[in-house]
Amino acid sequence: MSLTQTLVNSLSAAAVYALVALGFALIYNTVRFFHFAHGIVFTGGAYFVFLLKVWLGFPLFFSIIVAIGLSAILGCLIEISIYRRLRHKGASSLILLLASLGVYVVLQNIVSMVFGDDIKTIRSGMVEEGINILGTKVTPIQIAIIAVSLSLLVSCFLFLKYTKIGQSMRAVANDPELACASGIESDRVILATFALGSALAGIAGILVALDVDMSPTMGMNALMMGVVAVIIGGVGSIPGVALGALLLGMAQHLGVWKISSQWQDAIAFVILLIFLLFRPQGFLGRKIKKVTI
Amino acid sequence: MEYLLHILILIGIYIILSVSLNLVVGYSGLLSIAHAAFYGVGAYVAALLALKLHSPFLLNIICAVILSGLLGALVGIPSLRIRDDYFAIATFAFQVITFSVMNNWVSFTGGPMGLPGIPQPTIFGLEINTHYRFLSLVFVLGVIVLWVCHKIVNSPFGRVLKSIREDEIFAQAQGKNVASCKVLVFVIGAGMASVAGVMYAYYISFIDPTSFTIMESIFILSIVIIGGAGNIWGSVLAAAVLVILPEALRFLGMPSSIAANMRQIIYGALLVILMLFRPQGFIGEYAFKK
Amino acid sequence: MTPALNIINVNKNFDGTIALDDFSLEVPRNSITGIIGPNGAGKTTLFNVITGFLPLDSGKITFNDKNVARMPSYQIMRLGVARTFQQLRLITRMTVQDNILLSFQNQAGEHLKNTFFFPGRVKEEEKRNEEKATELLSFMGIEDKASDLVEDLSYGQQKMVSLACCLASGADLLLLDEPVAGINPETIDNILSVIAKLPEGGKTVVLIEHNMDAVMQVCHTVVFMDEGKKIVEGVPESVRNDPAVLKAYLE
Repeated sequence: MSLTQTLVNSLSAAAVYALVALGFALIYNTVRFFHFAHGIVFTGGAYFVFLLKVWLGFPLFFSIIVAIGLSAILGCLIEISIYRRLRHKGASSLILLLASLGVYVVLQNIVSMVFGDDIKTIRSGMVEEGINILGTKVTPIQIAIIAVSLSLLVSCFLFLKYTKIGQSMRAVANDPELACASGIESDRVILATFALGSALAGIAGILVALDVDMSPTMGMNALMMGVVAVIIGGVGSIPGVALGALLLGMAQHLGVWKISSQWQDAIAFVILLIFLLFRPQGFLGRKIKKVTI
Repeated sequence: MEYLLHILILIGIYIILSVSLNLVVGYSGLLSIAHAAFYGVGAYVAALLALKLHSPFLLNIICAVILSGLLGALVGIPSLRIRDDYFAIATFAFQVITFSVMNNWVSFTGGPMGLPGIPQPTIFGLEINTHYRFLSLVFVLGVIVLWVCHKIVNSPFGRVLKSIREDEIFAQAQGKNVASCKVLVFVIGAGMASVAGVMYAYYISFIDPTSFTIMESIFILSIVIIGGAGNIWGSVLAAAVLVILPEALRFLGMPSSIAANMRQIIYGALLVILMLFRPQGFIGEYAFKK
Repeated sequence: MTPALNIINVNKNFDGTIALDDFSLEVPRNSITGIIGPNGAGKTTLFNVITGFLPLDSGKITFNDKNVARMPSYQIMRLGVARTFQQLRLITRMTVQDNILLSFQNQAGEHLKNTFFFPGRVKEEEKRNEEKATELLSFMGIEDKASDLVEDLSYGQQKMVSLACCLASGADLLLLDEPVAGINPETIDNILSVIAKLPEGGKTVVLIEHNMDAVMQVCHTVVFMDEGKKIVEGVPESVRNDPAVLKAYLE
């Protein structure tokens, strides 16, 4: 495989990681626990499209738009029905994490009961041939993935910086109590964050499904890569998340360029451990507060 | 009758898994989502030794425990420097990787095809070739694991573990080496999980990666939490109930493909409900508060 | 005789805020030193730095002539330093007796090999420690609470227990963070009488306290600190009447 081919592959992988990671990081920043069920929202995005397009016969583009909306709604439902209640009870981050694991398990099994465990596709009728650029084969979907991801990263960055709701999201992330004191309704802001983060996860799931099909367990791996990207880049910084995703994608594909592809996940894990050990705040993150005594 | 014995053997294996995880999660407060990885390591070590070197059962079980423990140390020493949910994430990553190695290193682990034809074990000339004998073996190993866990949690070392779970700072202020205690208990848990893996491999005589997924890890964790974190007998009870559950569903006429999903939906839902209303589980003493 | 604790030119910053500013203090053996000062003066930070819970930026801290700066907390504790916390720390869901038992040092039973291979030794040690714990609790006057959960105790009783834990650890140096704040006068007298007796038993005490009467009653030396600096050090009466102290306490 040529170096440019490797670069294209790592870029498109990084683009997906970045979307999952961005949604995950947005949510983590406001609620401070690991939202495992983010993985099932990712899976949900893909299966909503399958449901709409293949089972109900809607056109692909329409299905994708509706599926993104449904992913956002799914994330919000999880937040309202479970996390919000736990938060109001003052639950610890471990309790919230365990609850999110439970949510993940339930929803993944519902997906596999409804749609079956076999691989499903929404690619039928799409142009599969790649375009040749300097001896490198680039598929249209790879280009789409990179373009969509890049534009979403930039718009999220601008959104958080310049819109009112974006600013209140950052305020809640920085200091929930202070934000509450200055009149921001944290529950509403958190809900908006879940909507945005879940839509991003849904989009990522759809893009992956367009690239390599779908199965009910697709979300777990995607989630892990997203989490690794967040930890590498540093929680709480969009450029950091993008950088983390890029580094992870590069490391994996450059590694695979030399050694065989079965070690891709192992590379991710080793990188994660190195960061947790030596720089748990990531590249661009702020230092994690030490335990207060 | 064989069916009943089969269920009892499975219950025994899950008791070993959940009691050992309870030591880590319930008594020491280390939320590990990697127990199925160590369970799998045990199974693969035993299967590979038995298939490739034809080494005897007892030697294999010792090798599995040692290797799994070493791996536990390798993961635990760096991961345990970070706390709470970050530790959970590190174990989650380890679980995903272990699965991926089992699944992708085809030349060594057989990949998705797994490792068939694991021979039946022989202990001091006695061939373990009937359900009865397997059950007795699992029973003996289960009792040993229970006894060891019981001794640990009721020893002064167990007291230190509980203090770490409740308040690490206080434990340090009392001169306890928190880091080394955590690693030690994590290694012990990993070793015990591998015992269950060895038994599973020999009993089913075929292993593949699908038995050692993240879902399996979450299942074992659910047993611990449903029974009650910090209570060994809770895990024993919950293991029995949750293993019987899908069989009961099948007995009620549910097709087995749906029964498997239903089992997961039920324990997943139980996990959420317990977190909402009773985080310490049915008879546990630790409610994941700091 | 060398001081039990010697703090030399210690500095500590938090993101630009100075918590300890070139702070030095010698604590003689078998003495009780009181540290007073307004909130945010750096008193608790001083304790956290001594016990290794916070790393210091520069300076030196020796305990029994041994440099303890940058040592992990548990090792400092094992050298013979014990502390209580301002936000009372105990294992609240364990019994009083178990909390005390936890505090004994060098327990054979805390090594698993002894639990499994020398169970007799562990059992014997445990029995001895239980007797010592009972003795300690009756010395403190709370022996009837031994099998109660700490969370069921009153705040004052919990403070007694945390003092008892320090004693159980066998440490020579006790750092007590507000040992009598927020409890009723009767219990205060109880605790003060226990503290006053400590130097006779070869212990050295440093305590942080806002209750001036308590400080006057038990301390041999009083240090007034503000903004991370030592302002005044001396015998209780003279510190109490120092203009800087009077000014701080009148405000």
